[in-house]
Amino acid sequence: MEHIDFRDQISKNKRNSVFLMIFVAITIVILGYVISFAFDPSYFFLIMIVAIIFSISYTWVNFYNSDKIAISAVRAKPADKIKYRDFYRLVESLTVASSLPMPRLFIMESGSINAFASGRDPKHAVVCVTTGALEKLDRRELEGVLAHEMGHIANYDIRFITLVAVMVGMIAIVSQIFLRSLWFGGGGNDNKGSGIFILIGIALAILAPIVVTLVQLAISRKREFTADATAIKFTRNPNGLIGALEKIKKDSAPEKKVSKALAPLFFSSPFKGLSSTHPPLEKRIEVLKSM
Amino acid sequence: MIEWIILVLVGLLLLIGIFYFNRFVVLSNRIDNSLSQIDVQLKRRADLIPNLIETVKGYAKHEKSIMAEVTKARQAMISAKNLTGKVKANGVLEGALGKLFAIAENYPDLKANTNFIELQRELSSTEDRVAYARQNYNDSILTYNNMVQKFPGALFASMFGRKVKEYIQIAPSEKVVPKVSFN
Repeated sequence: MEHIDFRDQISKNKRNSVFLMIFVAITIVILGYVISFAFDPSYFFLIMIVAIIFSISYTWVNFYNSDKIAISAVRAKPADKIKYRDFYRLVESLTVASSLPMPRLFIMESGSINAFASGRDPKHAVVCVTTGALEKLDRRELEGVLAHEMGHIANYDIRFITLVAVMVGMIAIVSQIFLRSLWFGGGGNDNKGSGIFILIGIALAILAPIVVTLVQLAISRKREFTADATAIKFTRNPNGLIGALEKIKKDSAPEKKVSKALAPLFFSSPFKGLSSTHPPLEKRIEVLKSM
Repeated sequence: MIEWIILVLVGLLLLIGIFYFNRFVVLSNRIDNSLSQIDVQLKRRADLIPNLIETVKGYAKHEKSIMAEVTKARQAMISAKNLTGKVKANGVLEGALGKLFAIAENYPDLKANTNFIELQRELSSTEDRVAYARQNYNDSILTYNNMVQKFPGALFASMFGRKVKEYIQIAPSEKVVPKVSFN
């Protein structure tokens, strides 16, 4: 494998993520367009207005509280400044490397090695590690993991991943509303929409949520590579991160149960069998070794 | 019609010009900031030394020469006029500290002292921070220079009188192998 400069890696991943985001946006527009043709317009507006108001407030609440939602969902506790001195020291050093403000630090009770970052922007960011990571990783490895999380913050992944998740949720909601309203209005003969558009609409309403979920997973995987590259930019030491990934590979501690929606935030996938939110560990190690 | 097109084009050009002007300001401020970060971290380092010396004195009174060496290196770092001098002195200090910690290995009580352990960790953490701050500085210069040299930034750079910035030559601190004499 050829040598990859981490700076190129970051810009390449950023570009790909923009493409993926445009793709999701176009999907939303096409879906809305087809549905509006399939439906009686007078019926449609009422549904759309309700759906838009609902999805905007849903987005806003989720977005604004993303740090608190994530922290309470995994029942993490604020890290004690005295007890976890080394944890604080490592993150403080990384703020020097990254020019980021100091995030709030949290601890999550779990034997497995993992960590996540969340929040709507670097000023409101949180970083959380498992007790397993603190026990099993040495200083350089833990630094690598924390640098990866700081990378998510620096690249605005914490905001991006939240927004993409909300967009995917919105498409699912619109599709559901469309399918359900067909069910209830299907028997009536006053349906002014044309038949072919109803068929296309049904197909799209079923396919769109699946496709955007796949896109979401692809974005999430890309973001992991970017965060790895950014971590190296901060520490200039791929060995710490490689060591941590290799320990995770060998680690057999039971995974903590977390919601699937939170999976993209984590350092390594909390689901061993279904690791589609994250690239395979081997692949990440391979890319890191080529940097 | 033609007038409108010209007006829109001029407006667009103006906006792009403003964007580049601000971008140059932000990037060069970032360089200044990262440069001062190096200073901040070196000072933090210097502030830890007297405490360390006090702790070592309590357990290893006879190691006067190494303590004097550390104190001298610290003094040189504080009194250095510019950053290049400070970073250079920091290299010397790093070497002296390495020796001090190697000697501390001979004093089990000192090694077990929580205050000493804490200071040792704190100092190695500041060593990381100095390295990170310097890296950050180098990266900031690189980003700025790319902006100044790449097209179309180069056009605006010459317009606003922005020039490529020189890296301040900060040699990587020489790794001094601690010489320990057992006698």
